Amino acid sequence: MTFEPATRPARSSGRRAPEARPAPPPRPRLLDAALVVVGLGFGATVGSTIIVETSSQLQAPGGVAMFLGNLTGMAGTYLALVMVLLVSRIPHIERILGQDGLLRWHRRLSPWPISLIVAHAILLTYAYAEASHSGLLAQLASFVSSYSGMLIAIIGLGFMVLAAVLSIYSVRRRLRRETWWAIHLGMYLALALAFSHELALGPSFVGHPVTQALWSIAWAATAGVVLAYRFGLPAYRTLRYRLKVVEVRRETEDVVSLILEGRNLDRLAVSGGQFFEWRFLTSKLWWQAHPYSLSARPKPPYLRLTVKAVGDHSSALAALAPGTKVAIEGPYGAFTTHARRRQKAAIICGGIGITAARALLEDLPKKSDPAVAWRVSTEEHAALAGEVEELVRRRRGTLHVVAGNREDVSLHRVARLVPDLRQRDVFVCGPESFVESMRQVLVGEGVPAEAVHYEVYAL
Amino acid sequence: MTRRTPLVSAAAMAGLGIVLLAHVGAEPRLLASSPSSAGGGSGNASSRGGSSSSGSSVSGTASGALEQYGYGELAVKLTVQKGRIVSATVTGLRTADTYSQQIAAQVIPMLRKEVLAAQSAKISGISGATYTCSAYATSVQSALDKLHLK
Ligand SMILES: Cc1cc2nc3c(=O)[nH]c(=O)nc-3n(C[C@H](O)[C@H](O)[C@H](O)COP(=O)(O)OP(=O)(O)OC[C@H]3O[C@@H](n4cnc5c(N)ncnc54)[C@H](O)[C@@H]3O)c2cc1C
Repeated sequence: MTFEPATRPARSSGRRAPEARPAPPPRPRLLDAALVVVGLGFGATVGSTIIVETSSQLQAPGGVAMFLGNLTGMAGTYLALVMVLLVSRIPHIERILGQDGLLRWHRRLSPWPISLIVAHAILLTYAYAEASHSGLLAQLASFVSSYSGMLIAIIGLGFMVLAAVLSIYSVRRRLRRETWWAIHLGMYLALALAFSHELALGPSFVGHPVTQALWSIAWAATAGVVLAYRFGLPAYRTLRYRLKVVEVRRETEDVVSLILEGRNLDRLAVSGGQFFEWRFLTSKLWWQAHPYSLSARPKPPYLRLTVKAVGDHSSALAALAPGTKVAIEGPYGAFTTHARRRQKAAIICGGIGITAARALLEDLPKKSDPAVAWRVSTEEHAALAGEVEELVRRRRGTLHVVAGNREDVSLHRVARLVPDLRQRDVFVCGPESFVESMRQVLVGEGVPAEAVHYEVYAL
Repeated sequence: MTRRTPLVSAAAMAGLGIVLLAHVGAEPRLLASSPSSAGGGSGNASSRGGSSSSGSSVSGTASGALEQYGYGELAVKLTVQKGRIVSATVTGLRTADTYSQQIAAQVIPMLRKEVLAAQSAKISGISGATYTCSAYATSVQSALDKLHLK
């Protein structure tokens, strides 16, 4: 099965095109090891604030607030470092959790550092005001005038609180994604601005060159990881593969496939079900990167993605001119056949979710008897249906396409199209509401959580 | 997830335990009992102070030495523009106990004002905080020396 551009038919020479390599398998032990290191670091960070404390210090007025202020500051900042690492997309960890998993952890952790750091600021202002017998405002003024690094640290705190408030789901929902993202970058700035006052004034650091060095190394390493994996690696891959659009093919009324050509694609390790963040380098689109799955395994020198028009970016892609250069970040995602735990697989997808499913299907072995259940709004909207049918047939599987909108087709009905669901790995992909509801349905149907693998088409 | 929470918690307890154990038996970090061992009184600092020569074109920033003063230690960072001290901030402050911390928190803003007014390390001490003042002045002087300002 091929998707080579119509303008450049497959080479007729007997030589077989080089195959693309699958993504390396995830190694969950690495995550355990990383978590142990992170846990040790957290304990040591907390410990470092305890050992510099003395009982007379605690007993004196304001002493408890001072201690708690230091403790919350150190613990909060350490957790902020973990937050940064979680979104740095370290490939070995991303492979295990998937980008969505990393973001989920990042979100789940986020209330802790922010509230600890705010508590730190309040507690220490109070404690110093107590100590110097002045008011809170007078104390703030004296922080700014008399203590090193405090002015920029307070500015940093402002950025941090702003970015945090805008990330609260009910607020964030109302913002344009790009606006939110730009402000969210302020978090990095905030952490950098806070650094100087930590070393200059933190009781764990003043006069403790070893802790100072360790803390500096930890932050420098974190910054290095972010630079390497968010900027360096994508830039390297973009230059190495030099992708450009060669054809835009209409699949249905609102879905197009983009066929890209690149160099060295036989060296690209990617599995079916994975996605990239794509940046199309035109004057209007270059500044936005959006995630789209590969809708087929790469066929060097070609790649394909298939996009449904839902908003600005996805609608603009139909008008891309051949020759448009493309920058990539990825591949990302743990939604691959590496996730399988059982003999047989079922794939349940909603609408455009078929793109990842289609590529995943290609990675399933011959005669593996996959069961595919696909809910589409109407038959005409079933993009790539022919290819999916063919792939399922070659694997001796079954395909059920159910047309109808959410009200007409219950998800229970979709799930029950696969009779031996409980014996299979179940891969679910599609829009957020589809995947979330389907996961609940699967629990109800008795499919164990570890057999359910999913990719949501929204971050 | 379920397996990982205990893993992280156990590692955190271990990290905490290691740091605390490593600290056990180590001597107290500051000897609050011997203030006299900390270099000199305020007079010493004043005698070393001096007005910055007017018209000097020195600009820059320097951190003074971390001064031990028995109840704690502190360092002062100076910023100088065209020979004038424009800011004095504390870059390291550690005290043996909260009472000393309170005194330091109280006098540091005053000492800063004095330095900015005097444009030198020549500051009259504040009663009850002689050692803190002298450490502050000495650190200011060492920063001035680094900047080659008198
Ligand atoms: C892992 C993954 C794989 C995907 N694969 C495909 C695919 O193969 N084919 C396909 O058509 N669509 C896919 N999507 C969805 C696609 O990314 C969005 O439809 C697209 O980004 C919408 O952008 P827009 O500007 O057109 O619409 P907007 O109006 O800006 O957004 C519409 C919705 O898309 C989501 N979205 C917008 N921008 C982003 C972004 N930068 N990152 C993540 N989500 C965003 C938002 O949640 C929003 O609700 C995938 C999404 C993810 C997360």
